[in-house]
Amino acid sequence: MPAYHSTFLAEDSNSRNVGNLAILPIKTKFKGPSLPSMSEYDIIDEVLDLFRANTFFKNFEIKGPADRTLIYGILYVSQCLNQLNLTTPRQEAVRILTNLSLDNFAIPGEIGFPLNSLYQPPRDKNEAIFLRQYLAQFRQELASRLIGTLYGGDPSKPSKYWLAFSRKKFMNKSL
Amino acid sequence: MASINTPAVVMDNGTGMTKLGFAGNDAPSWVFPTAIATRASGSSAKPSAPAKPSFLNTPNVAGSSGSTGGSFGTSPSPALSSIKRDMADLDFYIGDEALEAAKGPGYSLHYPVRHGQIDNWDQMERFWETSIFKYLKCEPEDHYFLLTEPPLNPPENRENTAEIMFESFNCAGLYIAVQAVLALAASWTSSKVTDRTLTGTVIDSGDGVTHVIPVAEGYVIGSAIKNIPLAGRDITSFIQTMLRERGEADSSLKTAEEIKQKFCYVCPDIVKEFAKYDNNSEMFAKYIIDTVSGRKITVDVGYERFLAPEIFFNPEIASSDFLTPLPEIVDGVIQASPIDVRKNLYKNIVLSGGSTMFKDFGRRLQRDLKGIVNERVSRSERLSGAKSSGVQVQVISHKRQKNAVWFGGSLLAQTSEFKSYCHTKQDYEEYGPNIVRNFSLFNVPR
Repeated sequence: MPAYHSTFLAEDSNSRNVGNLAILPIKTKFKGPSLPSMSEYDIIDEVLDLFRANTFFKNFEIKGPADRTLIYGILYVSQCLNQLNLTTPRQEAVRILTNLSLDNFAIPGEIGFPLNSLYQPPRDKNEAIFLRQYLAQFRQELASRLIGTLYGGDPSKPSKYWLAFSRKKFMNKSL
Repeated sequence: MASINTPAVVMDNGTGMTKLGFAGNDAPSWVFPTAIATRASGSSAKPSAPAKPSFLNTPNVAGSSGSTGGSFGTSPSPALSSIKRDMADLDFYIGDEALEAAKGPGYSLHYPVRHGQIDNWDQMERFWETSIFKYLKCEPEDHYFLLTEPPLNPPENRENTAEIMFESFNCAGLYIAVQAVLALAASWTSSKVTDRTLTGTVIDSGDGVTHVIPVAEGYVIGSAIKNIPLAGRDITSFIQTMLRERGEADSSLKTAEEIKQKFCYVCPDIVKEFAKYDNNSEMFAKYIIDTVSGRKITVDVGYERFLAPEIFFNPEIASSDFLTPLPEIVDGVIQASPIDVRKNLYKNIVLSGGSTMFKDFGRRLQRDLKGIVNERVSRSERLSGAKSSGVQVQVISHKRQKNAVWFGGSLLAQTSEFKSYCHTKQDYEEYGPNIVRNFSLFNVPR
């Protein structure tokens, strides 16, 4: 049984893509261009569900645009975990991860984006702006739900079971 | 002769562990590492090297010829140990005592069995000697012996074994059985087994390697055997890595080993299993170590409970060079076997060895293998248009898995016909060592 794929691959035909990355709807209160998700389960939930299983895998066959969104999400979770340590309290984590989500980050096609061999760049400047806004929204929502998961039991320190995954590198890549 | 009514001795010398006991018993009486600790400076470890005088045995060198054939009655067999024996030869330990002795100065540890085959005959002879006289405490003249060998063991090794058994120990009779065949026999205790056949696929996973061995009517199909470089040791080190990554209070090999044995199980799907742990914090376990000083150390046990055995089914999570899951290997082995036995090989997949003891290991293997087989069947039905009669896939788990090989030996050696399949001391003296090249197979009792 190889690594897990996105269940949103099935909806690829009617989703919007930038380059070959799927712009999947997310349930979020953060501002951004994403369409509101119609279903209970969105790509962010999926990223958090599959993160722990998939980080063990070094090989991953990309089956469609939704898988690229999934990869981006998993790598971003890794990046978030690397910013925290076992004693970071919740308030501190919120601050760190909000900054990280909004910080200057590279989008597909730009120098510094580590997966340019797998992701196509946006077609024009408008698409690039759109993609950056979508990813910023995606990162904020993901970070906020990640914090919810990490501090589920105790607001003073994150779950050590989750933090143990910070050393794993999905596909041997990191953002 | 006195040997008529004594139980046979069953000895299973594996690469890692030796199992010793008497036929008819449920479990081996002794299980200890196949290790021997000898005087580090002595020459006996390397038979080819000339005898080096050491500070300990210098006074003995002159009189060493006198000590040959000491009080043990184990005069060295002429062909195998022509080296001179001196006192240093009696100064050794085996099993757990050997591990203990090797910690101190003066002794070096050896493992006389490598990759299932006997590597150092001189050490093995002394290992057997101690096994018989110190552990089993029996007279070899009064007992028949059942020894085990790995598949594809060269016949010369059998001859060497017979030479030691008959000439050094004078044992009454000898049978050498293939481990995989004994593992099949051990599975007859399972309620799932209806007909007692010696046809089936044996998955033998110990500490070092995992073997997948197809057996047809008691004969091993040598060309189809496959080895997997993942076994107990890899699972333990995987757990150890996870404990370290989490920064647990104790992440020693021993702790990891205990966690493996007490807490690990096989799950049907890792993502769903992660969700289970999220919803129910009782899935996380605690392992408590009592230290010598009376202090208690608590080690939290998390996802390694199901991730560690998962390396059989998803080797990628632990290893970067070996990536084929166990069910695929088993399928490949059966497909490489002759076509007329394949159905029976799928029907009787037998587990053996400590690393197959995880809860639901058999069930997961059966499900994954069924998936592979059903896909092939439906593809062939689609391509040919003919209806297949179907292939039954059945993995047999049973209570004796841990020492399955030994237990199978115990079962066979307690039957009344066992002695008629053995070669006796008289046969050996009359025909010479090459009679042990062949043993007739046990008739399958009905």
